[in-house]
Amino acid sequence: MSQVRVLGELAVLDDVGPARRGRAYPAVGATSALLLPAAVLLGGLVLWPVLRTMHASVTTDGRWVGAAHFRTALAAPGTGAVVGRTVLWALLVPAVVTALGYLLAAASRRSEEGGLVRLILLVPVALPLVVTGVTFRLMYDPDPSRGLATLVATRLAGRSVEDAPQLLGPGMVTVALMSAFVWAWVGLAVLVFRSALDAVPPSLADAVRAYGGKRRHVLWDAQWRPLLLRTTAVVFALVAVGTSRTFDLILVMTPGSVRDEASVLALRIWQTSGGTTTGDGAALGVVWLVAVIGGIMVAALFVRQAWPPPPVEAAPEPAPVAPPRRVFRLLAAGAAIAWLVPLAVLVATSAHGRVDAAARGWWSAPPNGESYRNLVTGTELWRTLGFTLLLATAVTATVLVVALLAAYPLAWLTGPAAQATGLLLLAASVVPIQVIAGPVNEVLGLVLSSGTAQGLALVHIALGVPFAVLVLRNAFADLPVEQVRDARLGGRRWWHTLRRLARHNRSAVVAVSVLEFVQVWNDLVVGRLFGGPGSFPLGPFLAEQTRSFVSNSGALAASSVLASVLPVVLVVLSRRHLVAGLVSGGVR
Amino acid sequence: MRPPAGVSRRTLLRAAAAGSTALAAGCSGGTRSVQVAVVWSTSELDRFREVVAGYPAPVQVVSAGNDIDAFLRARHLAGTSPDVAILPRPGLVTEYAQRGWLSPVLASTEYAVPAGLGELLTAEGQRYGVWVKAAHKSLVWHLPSMLPVQPANWDALVRRTQELGALARRDGGPAPLAIGAADGWVLTDWFENVLADVAPESYNALARPDADWQGGPVREALDRLAGLWSINGAFVGGGRRALLTQYEESVIQVVHTKRAVMLVGADFTADVADPFQRGPEAPVTFRFPGAQPGGGPLIVGGDAAVAFTDAQGGVELVEWLTRVDSFQPWLRAGGYLSPNTNVAIGSYRDRVGQGLAAEMRTPGTLRFDLSDQLPGAFTGSDGVGIWRIMQGFFADVTDGVRASEAIRRATGLLAAAARSAGGGR
Repeated sequence: MSQVRVLGELAVLDDVGPARRGRAYPAVGATSALLLPAAVLLGGLVLWPVLRTMHASVTTDGRWVGAAHFRTALAAPGTGAVVGRTVLWALLVPAVVTALGYLLAAASRRSEEGGLVRLILLVPVALPLVVTGVTFRLMYDPDPSRGLATLVATRLAGRSVEDAPQLLGPGMVTVALMSAFVWAWVGLAVLVFRSALDAVPPSLADAVRAYGGKRRHVLWDAQWRPLLLRTTAVVFALVAVGTSRTFDLILVMTPGSVRDEASVLALRIWQTSGGTTTGDGAALGVVWLVAVIGGIMVAALFVRQAWPPPPVEAAPEPAPVAPPRRVFRLLAAGAAIAWLVPLAVLVATSAHGRVDAAARGWWSAPPNGESYRNLVTGTELWRTLGFTLLLATAVTATVLVVALLAAYPLAWLTGPAAQATGLLLLAASVVPIQVIAGPVNEVLGLVLSSGTAQGLALVHIALGVPFAVLVLRNAFADLPVEQVRDARLGGRRWWHTLRRLARHNRSAVVAVSVLEFVQVWNDLVVGRLFGGPGSFPLGPFLAEQTRSFVSNSGALAASSVLASVLPVVLVVLSRRHLVAGLVSGGVR
Repeated sequence: MRPPAGVSRRTLLRAAAAGSTALAAGCSGGTRSVQVAVVWSTSELDRFREVVAGYPAPVQVVSAGNDIDAFLRARHLAGTSPDVAILPRPGLVTEYAQRGWLSPVLASTEYAVPAGLGELLTAEGQRYGVWVKAAHKSLVWHLPSMLPVQPANWDALVRRTQELGALARRDGGPAPLAIGAADGWVLTDWFENVLADVAPESYNALARPDADWQGGPVREALDRLAGLWSINGAFVGGGRRALLTQYEESVIQVVHTKRAVMLVGADFTADVADPFQRGPEAPVTFRFPGAQPGGGPLIVGGDAAVAFTDAQGGVELVEWLTRVDSFQPWLRAGGYLSPNTNVAIGSYRDRVGQGLAAEMRTPGTLRFDLSDQLPGAFTGSDGVGIWRIMQGFFADVTDGVRASEAIRRATGLLAAAARSAGGGR
């Protein structure tokens, strides 16, 4: 393809006939070069470790042992309960989050206070799960003189202080953990449902009514069938994959003696294998891997179609729709207040000094700034914050570059090849790091960076790339043909074209950047597994302090608040872009 | 050119690393720093940095956190082991030595430890580690005003607990005992103190691969514990609440909120007690009671320094750590005990430290923390090994399960855990 000037205008010689996407496709050589960084990262730090873990699950010191490790791992006492609990997490929690998310999205629509409600629900989404864990452990403290939820439960049940119901005890701990998880994730579901609801043309409902449809018909034919079924599947799948992150919550919220009663596969694998991946641990890991990837594949089949749908002809100004009924609006307001309580508990605790926070409830002593003073004048938190900021920025920038390069040629794949790439990327983006920790460490050793900041960054980049490629590829592919053609015509070289295309996809680029940054900032498990001297990020730093939770709760709450400011601001500011990015990533 | 066979990747990488650091050192005119991995954090870490500041060569101290075993395994896998590590468990020292990760070390001429301690760090006749710090783990803490008369022996402790428990139930007085049963090591410390008193001669045998975890001594020790722990009203809020209480919180219950009278804890309990002390009254200690008056055997914990194979200057640093002068910053800070009997008793800052150091030198009574010597996962962690088993036992006896049944369950689990960790019967 060559460019010449025709009548003083720049034109492409073969630019005849209907516009085709193929015109913007880079040459084979360039394509390989563009894909190389992503391929090396994914091959070396995801694919090879997965194969190595599979190998380890059927061998002992290189000797073939067949299914022996699987038999031992599954027969070990308690494994059945652990697997059952993992399944419960993956089914029950997404169901609750999805239902609540839909209800609250519908209830907060088109009402004056709806925006505020959604904003409040969104804040927990941005918090590191470690902070969520700290917050709920403060509320569920077994002592009614400190734990607000325990106090309320004691009063409601009419029990004595000595006989307070134990929300963190063996019987209730999973429910307690799940409540924290639901609190953290509902905002995301609301956000996604909200934009799905907004995308439904109101005329559709009018049409259904015109044909004599009742309220339930409107709900079914004008909401669920065209859009919401698919959105539900997206939300469900997102949350189900998210439940594999319960690891953070369990480590932070459960006292040592109930850890077994709360354990899920993520934790069990971590306990049985530490930093290495061998034998029983590898076998459990393979079981988990198969389940997670199988689950996401099924979900992907459900939601294969593009969402949101390509924009239809400019719809006429939507007719004003009646705000939801009063009972729904009360529900939304109630939820917002309920969602604020844990945040208030965290902030209130952080406003107390060490002794007050440990020895009595935050409501029974006047606040002072002691914990903040100690933190701000100390060096430890600043060092950690600084390191985490540097790490998250570097990782985000690298992921963005690598993913943009790879997404560009991939966007013009069509048919089975495109679907296969999509599924592969989807699978790579849900591989749990605990499963492949050992082999990843070996790879890091090869490049001499285990336990270093570079090693940590490398793992984050490899884990972040597949999702970023997926989102950006879909965004590129969704671009109208005309924009692609303009970019191709205006850009003299492929990188000019890429830059122009990226500019058209600002939403996706912002979504990927914010999500990646927040992901690294909020991480616990990668830091825990691959951090080392001088590379101790925020998540592990906070989690480490929970080992003496009560005596540290003032400082812990204060550092949690300081650690949450940046991710919350980022997510709140970019919330509109996030939905677009998230949803397009989940559906191809 | 291909590297000659037998030169491992690790050696090459080390050579490259050594080359680059040598280059850096050449520029600065100094020598390569020795890297030390430790478990300590916050003030303990600062204290250790003070210690190595006295070393003639630069030392880089890295905190590996509580999961130092996983950290070192990963670093070994990656071929980037530190030069020196300070390990909280002698079981790890022998484990690493048997895998060939460590190089033998020498102690200075100023180094001598109580009988029985040194052997824990040897494998096949070679010394692979030295003790750098010790903890006295046979203390009971209380406020003098809450317990005017200290129980002289185990039976007196049981009687006192019964009386105080009855008072607590009747008119809401303080519970006799605070216990941080959410932390498994608290319970293993109790168990070890009782076991060393019940069966001093078979205590050490339980750390060996052919240990009998269902035998008489273990059952007897558990029976004694069940007798005390099952007393109605023994713990603040009852047994189930105790299982959610962390060790630091149990200290607060004694020194600050005064909801409990006694606490079994090591000498480092003072670190938590100090900031939470209310008013001028400081807590005092007495020796964990044995069957006979005058206190039972003494349980000691400690941290050992090891040098990794191929380490640069690791062996020299380990040797230096065993000198009397090296311990000075710890002595100055107070609250730390040296395992080295050549450190003069008079150099401890306060009376308490002097008394504890003297106790550690009484011949014949000293036993090293048993759970720290156990192999593999049996050694315990949250939800794992002997920690978990002791928590299960505690839950049983405080929940009204008959002692014989609770003991049967616990010993069965202990034997199974020992077997799967590669030993025991």
